[in-house]
Amino acid sequence: MNRHRVLFVALVLASVSVAPALRAQGSRVLGIADARARAAVEREIAQAEARGLPVRPLLAKAHEGVTKRATGERIRVAVASQARRLEQARDLLAPSPSEAELVAGADALAVGVPAPMLKKVRAAYPAGHSVAMPLDVLTELVARGVPANHALEQITQLMTRGATPTQIASLGASVQADVAAGLTPDAALEVRARGVMSLLPSPAAAAALAPRGSRP
Amino acid sequence: MIPTRLVALGFLLLCASRAGGAQRASELRLEVGTASFSQRGFDAERAALLAVLWRRPAERWTFLTSGNLTYAADSLAAAQGVAVVDLPWNVSERLRTELGVAGASFSLRSVGRGGNGNLFARQHFVGPTRGSFIGLAGGRTSRDGVGSDSWSVDAGLWKRFGVLYLSGALTHFSSSDWPLLYASGVFTATNDDRFELLDKMLTVQVRNGPHDFTLNFIARDGLGATAARNRTLTASGTLQLTERFALLASGGRKLADPMRGLPQADFVTASARVSFGPKPLPVMQRSVIAEAGVMAFAGGGGELVVRVLASESILVEIAGDFSDWAPLPMEREGTFWVARARLRPGKHRVAVRVNLGEWRAPRNLARVRDDYGGEAGLVVVP
Repeated sequence: MNRHRVLFVALVLASVSVAPALRAQGSRVLGIADARARAAVEREIAQAEARGLPVRPLLAKAHEGVTKRATGERIRVAVASQARRLEQARDLLAPSPSEAELVAGADALAVGVPAPMLKKVRAAYPAGHSVAMPLDVLTELVARGVPANHALEQITQLMTRGATPTQIASLGASVQADVAAGLTPDAALEVRARGVMSLLPSPAAAAALAPRGSRP
Repeated sequence: MIPTRLVALGFLLLCASRAGGAQRASELRLEVGTASFSQRGFDAERAALLAVLWRRPAERWTFLTSGNLTYAADSLAAAQGVAVVDLPWNVSERLRTELGVAGASFSLRSVGRGGNGNLFARQHFVGPTRGSFIGLAGGRTSRDGVGSDSWSVDAGLWKRFGVLYLSGALTHFSSSDWPLLYASGVFTATNDDRFELLDKMLTVQVRNGPHDFTLNFIARDGLGATAARNRTLTASGTLQLTERFALLASGGRKLADPMRGLPQADFVTASARVSFGPKPLPVMQRSVIAEAGVMAFAGGGGELVVRVLASESILVEIAGDFSDWAPLPMEREGTFWVARARLRPGKHRVAVRVNLGEWRAPRNLARVRDDYGGEAGLVVVP
């Protein structure tokens, strides 16, 4: 059986299995009034599942569309776009990204973070350490209008200096508070990143503390 | 002369558009419009306006450059270019320095042909709701082969009250460009070759999202032996019709500008603006005020609290990935509608709607597109 036939069989099996799975989850995808559009959305999700992508973020995207009263076709397009971004994120965050990392990567791509930056974020943490939170903070900063290269530089500096995901998340929260107080996002990031940086060991110390071989 | 200017402007447009395409964060704006200008002592002339603005934010500074061309047959033609670098200070995020250079070329019935170049520097103190600045500028003008120089010192304060901005500024000009000021009705009682002017300016601006309306009042008085007394009011506004398209209008009396070598004129303008670059978020009326905050828990995660200021008699709902996008009714607490949700660490999307209307991001959150033509707010929980 050649590769195409294997993929075809996988798709058929997945499309057969996904509808009962959606029903079992009480999915509101089934609430799409147009039967053809509903079937098309289910097929998109099934195809994504067959490609090894997580179903949960795709269902969430479809549910958002149902809540926002989007047409069935628009929901299908949104689900397909999300699947494409998840697939791209999987390639960029290789070798074995978690579902949270895939979602974080896909959302980063959706706000306009350039694809090579995902690789840089992945490379800034040792293998096995989740980069979901740094990607989430990068996404939030870019959505606020901070230039992507500036946000990336600050976040990867923190990561290489050994900042924890909680410290990086706090950076995002502090920037939000500063922006609410009237600072530009760019200036707020600059100041807050310096504040977090001052709590971290120097680059040399961080390198010395890191387990041998843990850095990619 | 005009074709040469048009070619120069076209080159500027080309450079700006290429640069805009190369850098995602760059913004390019083009404005095209019509105007009526009336120089002192001459009939009003209809004019064509063309302007381009390119803004590129970088890591440590923002570079902004703009050029514009005004043309009205043989009576009025001016091309201007401005380049500004905005530098934040390392010692304090509230200090910013603006350095700029500007140039103009003109052919005016009232004050002749020539060119102008000037440099300016301005130190800003920027607070959350108020700020101040002090600046210095110097320029050189050549008019029909005769050179002159001008200097100015300015200082001002601004304060924000919600959507209302108020600012006041004082500017002291010293200029030897007597043809310009003579054409504008400013005389000296002595044979001094310099004019001293003091401008007191008051600006009131209302900003609502991308829309704005501005009133600007200037009281100009001559100092020492200079006889000048002008009072002018100008109005301008921007109406953002779609994500990329806006209408602009302005009118009033522009006083002679010794720094740029441009004379006094009464004007009315109307133009259209198209923006390129990062696609702005949809324009949405902010009929409700929704704000979100997260109270972080010590062990990770936190409680999202969303408050909406809206009438008691309406339906207010919240949805987000925390509810699998199922709409949840908010509860009335005092004068607010409030929703609370426990969130795991990570990024969450949230939106609120009133009376089954558009889903909107709470205004203090980062806003993202939602694949459905609308928006959602992002919140990251430590």
